[in-house]
Order: sequence, then C-alpha cells, then structure tokens
Amino acid sequence: MSLQNFLSALDSLQSEAIATLDAASDAEAFEAARVKYVGQKKGALKDIQKQMGSVAADDRKSAGMRLNEVKQAIEKAVAEAQSRISGGGESGADPTFDPTLPGVRPTIGHVHPITQTITHLTEIMGRMGFEAAEGPEVEDPHHNFVALNIPEDHPARDPLDNFYLATAATGAEKRNVEGTRLLRSQTSTVQIRVMANRKPPIRVISLGRVYRPDDPDATHFPMFHQMEGLLVDTNVTMANLKTVLRVFATNYLGGDVEIRFRPSFFPFTEPSVEVDFLWDGNWIEFGGAGMVDPNVFRAVGYDPEEVSGFAFGLGVERLCMRRHGIKDIRDLYSGDMRFLSQF
Amino acid sequence: MLVSWKWLSRYVDLPADREQLETRLSLSGLNHEGTETPSENPALSPDDVCIDLEVTSNRGDCLGHLGVAREISVLYNTELRVPSPTLETSKTDVRSLLSVENEFTEACPRYTARVIQGVKVGPSPDWMQAALASIGIGVVNNVVDATNYVLMECGQPLHAFDYANIADKKIVVRPARAKESITAIDHRQYELDPSMCVIADAQAASAVAGVMGGADSEVTESTKDVVIESAIFSPLSVRRTARKLKLHSPSSFRFERRVDPVGVEWASRRVCQLIVESAGGTVAEGIIDTAPEIEQRPPIVLRLSQLERILGITIDSIEVERILTALGCQSDAKISTGSGAFRAPSWRHDLTREADLIEEVARIHGYDKIPEDSPIPVAPSSKRTFDSATEKIRGVLTAAGLSEAMTPSVVTSKLDKALSPWTERPALSTQTAMLKGAKRLRRTLLPSLIEARANNWASASIEADLFEIAHLYLPGKSDEDLPEELYAVAMVCGGDFFSAKGVIESLCERLGARQTLSVQPVDSPGFVAGQLVRLSLGETSLGYLGVVAPKTLKQWKLPGPVIVAELSIPALLADAELVPQQQIVSMFPSVERDLNFVMSESVRWNELENVVRSAVGQQLKSVTYRETYRDPEKDGKDRKRVLLSVQLQSDETTLSGDDADALVQSVIGACKKKLDAELLG
Repeated sequence: MSLQNFLSALDSLQSEAIATLDAASDAEAFEAARVKYVGQKKGALKDIQKQMGSVAADDRKSAGMRLNEVKQAIEKAVAEAQSRISGGGESGADPTFDPTLPGVRPTIGHVHPITQTITHLTEIMGRMGFEAAEGPEVEDPHHNFVALNIPEDHPARDPLDNFYLATAATGAEKRNVEGTRLLRSQTSTVQIRVMANRKPPIRVISLGRVYRPDDPDATHFPMFHQMEGLLVDTNVTMANLKTVLRVFATNYLGGDVEIRFRPSFFPFTEPSVEVDFLWDGNWIEFGGAGMVDPNVFRAVGYDPEEVSGFAFGLGVERLCMRRHGIKDIRDLYSGDMRFLSQF
Repeated sequence: MLVSWKWLSRYVDLPADREQLETRLSLSGLNHEGTETPSENPALSPDDVCIDLEVTSNRGDCLGHLGVAREISVLYNTELRVPSPTLETSKTDVRSLLSVENEFTEACPRYTARVIQGVKVGPSPDWMQAALASIGIGVVNNVVDATNYVLMECGQPLHAFDYANIADKKIVVRPARAKESITAIDHRQYELDPSMCVIADAQAASAVAGVMGGADSEVTESTKDVVIESAIFSPLSVRRTARKLKLHSPSSFRFERRVDPVGVEWASRRVCQLIVESAGGTVAEGIIDTAPEIEQRPPIVLRLSQLERILGITIDSIEVERILTALGCQSDAKISTGSGAFRAPSWRHDLTREADLIEEVARIHGYDKIPEDSPIPVAPSSKRTFDSATEKIRGVLTAAGLSEAMTPSVVTSKLDKALSPWTERPALSTQTAMLKGAKRLRRTLLPSLIEARANNWASASIEADLFEIAHLYLPGKSDEDLPEELYAVAMVCGGDFFSAKGVIESLCERLGARQTLSVQPVDSPGFVAGQLVRLSLGETSLGYLGVVAPKTLKQWKLPGPVIVAELSIPALLADAELVPQQQIVSMFPSVERDLNFVMSESVRWNELENVVRSAVGQQLKSVTYRETYRDPEKDGKDRKRVLLSVQLQSDETTLSGDDADALVQSVIGACKKKLDAELLG
C-alpha cells in the first residue's frame, strides 16, 4: 500500500470514528462504536495498524507518526463520549455532586451582644476623643456617694437600694445597714477616681457592671452595664453636651437624629437632664446627663470657677436590646447557647 | 403626682390646649406620664381629667396642686391665685386646752397644733369629695377629708386627733420605746423601736410621726373636738421608719422630700378654715408652735456670665428676673453690672447656690434654646492596651469555637464553695441577695460557667463551650479592705485536656507572650487526679487548667469530659508583645529529621524538649512532638517510645547533610546521657 493511500485511509477512519462517537446518544450506540473503532480484536484501528506492514519501509516512520495521532484523537473521542454518556450532563460533571448541599461550617464562637454594644459605643466615643477608663466595682461610700454630692440623708443611699457588703464585725451578717463597702450603683464612681488622679482637660468614658437590687423581670436585672462620659475643661457648656450627644446618637442610630433635654435631678450634675432621642417617630429615653455639679469639682480638688464640664450616663442593656430586638434582659445573663449563638 | 385639671384651675388659668401644657410640663421638669379622662376613670367628674406627673426627689414643692399651678403660671406667664385662709377664733387660748413637749427635735424640728372645738363630724362637701376622688383618694369625713385636701393642695401632711382621746391633754413628741407597738389607722399593729419618732399623749403613742396616725385617736363620728397637727419631720427619720415598718403613705413620701417651713402654719390655718366651713365648731385662739422662728434664707448671687459659661447661650437679664421672681425668688434690686442677688422661696429647698438658679432659668427658658452645633475641640484618644488585648482574646477563643457568656458576679454559696483556686480567704458577701439567694462575690468564674454548661445541657442537650471575661473579687487582708478585683478569662469546654491546653497556647502566642507556658500539677478535689495544673508564663503564675472529675460532673448532671481553665488577664499581659515584631526568616533551606526515642515512662515531654533544644542551640528551628507509643513486650515495662521531629536550619548558610547529621548526633548523645533515652533504628 502506498503511503498516500495509507494516510488517506487513516484520515477517513478518524473523521468517521469521531463523527460516529459524537453522534452516539446512548450506551448501546457508544459501545457499538467503541468496539467498531478501538475494539481489541476487530477494531478498525487494529485493522489499519496491521496494514502498516505493507507500507514501504522508508515511509513507515511518517505513517507511524500519523497513525499515533489518529489513535490518540479517536481514543480521546471515545473517552469524551463515554464520560458524556455514562457521566451524564453536558459538562461531564459527576451527577452525585450536589453543590446545593449545605457547607461544612467551622465552629466559631460568638461574642456576647453586650460586648458588641460596648465595643460599638467605645468606638463612637473614641472618635470624639473620649478614652476608656475603669474603676473598681466594689466601692466605698465616699466614691459612690459623698464625692458625688449624695448626702447622708439621700434616699439613694438606702440599704434596700444598694448592695452593701456584709461585715463579720458583729459576728453575724448585718442586714439593712449602710456599710463601708458596696457594689457600685453607678459608674460615676470612675469619674471621681479619674478626676482625683488627673488634671483637666479630661475626656473619658467609663464602662462596666453596676448593681442595684431590682427583682429580675423582662426589663430589670440586679446587674447591668452603664456607660458614662465625662468632659472637663476650661470652657465646657451645655451646648457642647447637646452637640456631643446628638453626634453620638446620629452615629449610633444612623441618619440625622433629633434630640431633646428634659429637666431631671441627679445630685452630681446641675443642671440635670434626661436625654430623649426621636426614634421612629417616638421620643425614646436614652439616659441622664448634665453639667458637673460644683460640689463634685470641689470634692476632687478642682475649682468650679476655673473649670466646667459635662457628664452623661446611658444604660448599655437598653441600647443593646433595642438594637438587636432582645425582649428579655434575663436572656443576656443566662449563658444559654440558644440565645448567645444568635449574635 | 396625680393632679386634677379642675382642681388646678382654682389657682391658675389653664391654657386651652391640654396636650401642649403636658408637653411643656415635661420639658420643664414635671414629666408627663399619662392622662385619664372620665371615660377611662369613672371617679372623675365629666368635666375633669387626671394628669400623672413625675416629680423628681428634689421637687417636694410640686407634690401639691399649688406647686404644679405655680409651674404653669411661670411657664405661661399668668397669675397664680394662692388662697389666704383667715380664721375667726374663740376666746379660749389653745395653750389652756393642750400642751406639746418635743423630746425628739432631731426627728421633729417643728411641731404645731391647733384645736377646733365643737365640730360636727359628717360627710364633707361635694366639691371636696369630687376633688379627692379625682386623684384617687378615699373619702372619710369632713375632718379627715379636709386634711387630705390640704395635703394635696399644698403638699403639707396634716393629722387630726380626737381631742377626747389625748390623755392628760398633752402631746409628747418622743422616740418610741423599745417594744412599744401601735395600731395604725389601717388597723394593723406595728412594733416600734427607739429610732422611730412617735406622737404620743401622756400614756401611749398615738401616731408614727410623719408616717401614719393611730387608730385610738382617729377622728370618728362621735368626735367633738379635734387637734390639728402640722409639723416638720426630718426626711431621714421618716424614710427609715417607713422602710422599717414597710409603711409608706402620702405623708411619709412628702416628709422624705421636705416640706415648706412657712407652709406649715399656712396649711394649719387652711385646714381649720375648711373644717369650720363644713363641720362647724370654733378654732381656739393661737397656735402651739415648738419652733416658730423661720430663718431667712441668704441671698444667692447669680452672674449672667455664669449662665453663659455653663449653658452656652446668653439670656436677657429681664427674662432671668422674670423667671426667678415668678418662681418665688425675691430680690432687693434689679440685676445690674451683670449680676443679681436672689432669696429662694421657703418651699424650694433645692435652691441654695448659683448653679441651682442657673438650672431654674435654663429649664423655664427652655433647653430647646440650647444649640446642638457647638462641637468640642479634637483630642487624641488611644485604645487601651487592655481593650486591644481582650479583643485578641475574644478573637482566639471564638475562633476556637467558644462563645462568650456573661454570668452574674454574685453567686450562691453552693457555687462559691465549689472551687476557689485563687484565694483561701472567704468570699465577700452582700447583705441582700442578688438572685435566688446569691450573696457571695465570686472568687472564680469557673463554677458559673460550669453551671451555664449544665443549664444548656439540661434545657437543650447542648454541650456549650463558653468563656467569660470578668472580675474576680479576691478579699483583702482585713475586713474593711476593698477586694482585689482581678480581671480573668475563664473557659469551659469539651474535648480533652490537650485541646483546651492548645487553645491556651494559641492565646499566649497570639498575645505575644515572650515567656514559655509551663504547667505544675496541683491537687484539688473536683478534678481528675493529676489533671489539674497551675499554668505559668515564665515565673508569673497565670492560672489553672484542669479536667473536671466525673463525680463533680455527676452533681451537675453533665456528661464528660469537661475541661475548665481560668487565666489572670494581667498575668497574660505582663510580658506580652501585643504589637508583633517581624522576625527575619532564614533564606536557607531547612532539614527535618524524625527521631524515635525509647525512654522511661517518667521522662516528661518538657524535659525531653529542653534536652533537645539545648543540644542544638541556634540552628534548631523547632522541635515537634509527634506521638507516644508503648510496647512493654519489646521495650520493657514502664518504657515508652516518643517520636519527635526536629527542624534544623542555619541563618548563614545551607546546612549540608553532614552538618545536619552532626547536630542530630549531638541530640542523640544528649538524650542518651541526660535522659537515658535510646534512639530506635
């Protein structure tokens, strides 16, 4: 056989085989085509390979190269047809692979919503130059009351409104007496400690646990968190207070938030106000605020004629619960994973 | 404070727009809590409404209709009409009918009494009954109703005694006697103690001063002559007494917030006038008054510059004067050269300083006038190291699959007794329980977290892996010391000792601990023997890690294993490099070799690691523990095989195979020599 004839026989085999394999639409047709072209015993490729011997010796090299190319092309077509038919689908993808099955998630813990709120608040106040400060939770009456202008006959000092610590002095635990130590009822105690240890200007926020004997219900818990801000400088006004709180509210709630002051009473500020924010058309109580009372300045050795300042305090739980739609404050302290894992 | 619209209108012309008034009251200090109309409250007359106003504890003057009316008159700049009661008295001198002895001036700075003779007790007039009903006060008779009416008119509590039941016609204000008791007009018996003040006759207590009258001397239908008490009882005494007796009354509420010293005599006159109007009788001449002198209040200087300095706005001096005068302040002269002097009215105990006057001007002028565009100057504020550190701690622990819990700081004694690794001193406790009998300030967070895990298991079969960052309260040396408040991070999780230890190792690494973490077994009940360790970073004690004993888990009804750990955050940060510094990485290839040693069971990994490290030195990049294998038949009893890998690398050159072999040989030699550990082929 001449080289020419051999090569043209190869070409026609290749195009016929590929066309037949591509056209095979089921396993039966594919198997027939496979046996016909690449079958071990009687396949067309085998047949044509046998004819190599009749090609002139000088031409055998070129004939062999071409034979190899054709063989590879046909085998590729077989493989493709096989995977198309047996593997199913146009792309040749594994039919058992279901990409819609859920992913395998890493076990990642959750940060407590109160922590998230505190981080958020700290960050907003940090942008306005307020640094975090902390103080002890077990306090003496000086820091919790006296220096905050809360006199001895003030109802805020009542043993039933505070967690005074028991002392062993009497042998038995005393009840209902004003002790020498108590769990702080407000984070304002930190203001006193900060002012007593530093000179103005002062710009701090204090955050932490505070304690008041409330029977627990959906909105009360005997332990909760407060954030207090304090700014003391030579020329601080109530207009500054209103501005800082409006910027704070706008940052926290988003959008331009309206704010209003209602007169109130706190021993450690004068004037004292309740702060309301207009939220979804309702005035929401946000916390208390005011200008630092001159007596507080005197208690820490500042001259109220030289410096002025403002202070404000917010309940962290209330902000957290409103932000996350939490309905019962007790959930926050339950340690229940069904709650914690939602945040 | 409930106020009736109709009642208020007796003293001031009310605006047509009630809701606007309610808002203005809210924004000037009397927060509007709600309003009831006759359709909601049948006790109201058809033309009346009842408004609930919140009165802050410094504003006792607003605990009567007159005080609220005064606020309205100031806000709307209208006239206030205060009644001026006058009395037609008999020739009989009150002192011939009654004597008063005050033996307890600390609790009762002033006591006044008038006597009305020949009253006819019966129902009070309709207008008075309607007024009392409008604010929810029960109607009794024309004498008692008059005292309640005046109480709610001006805020001065009054009490009427039946003159016939006062033994020896003598009133004694004195401390209660030990074990003395009284039946109050609520017909319950109260046991008194000497800290309490009573109003007594020559024989027995007839009222608890400022809190409640006694049943024995109450005015009844047969009463002919009445004694009218109008007094001042000190806030602290009344508050403590009311608390102790759990007996709170409109009177005690007002005495706790202080009454108007001038108003004491006015109220006495006013109630006598009203009683005579409806019950007849004649008022005896004069008044018994134990402290008739009323100190004039000193003038307070108000500088306009201070108003601006504190409020950030200027307010016209005419407006300032109008506000303060309308509120009842008196001044001898107009504001000149930027300041004025004002005497606060007797009913405003809260006005003693310039700052107080500034607040008065501000709240009436209106806080809405204070602008919101007055920014503070920029100032640096850096994040505290502690906050950066806790953020990293939370990052590592949540990545390890633990969730943050917050549990109460005060625990039950059961929880407190469960464990106390940090201190032997007994826990501090509160006088009142915080929750379910919890009184102990916790000395460790671990029992709280174990409890939380147990609750999760009990309620939802969840094996909760939790951590908490909070204070421990470690009692000081003496009883009066403030405790040391140690910030700790504690965790509870499943897995095993080493998975928990790995979390702690990662934590130390992520916080940049420069010292190595070491462990020291300690003995403690509640843990698997030998599996509680004290953790240290270098020489610093860091905390505890341990596997909870099955017996303890059983008490909690918890499936095992449960691993707990608690670390001191200050110790964790003591030598931490929170800002990581880059270490130069060697550019030369490293060589890794596995070494399998057989050694005595008593050799601990840390000893082996130390020997390997010191045998190589700088060129040892890491020693990695692979596994331990025991085959007593091959290696003998109490022997073990430990497979480890060493990574060798030089910073200056490529280590040749020979170099590496030499280093490995020194490791093998040192292990043999120091630990009697044989390399296996």
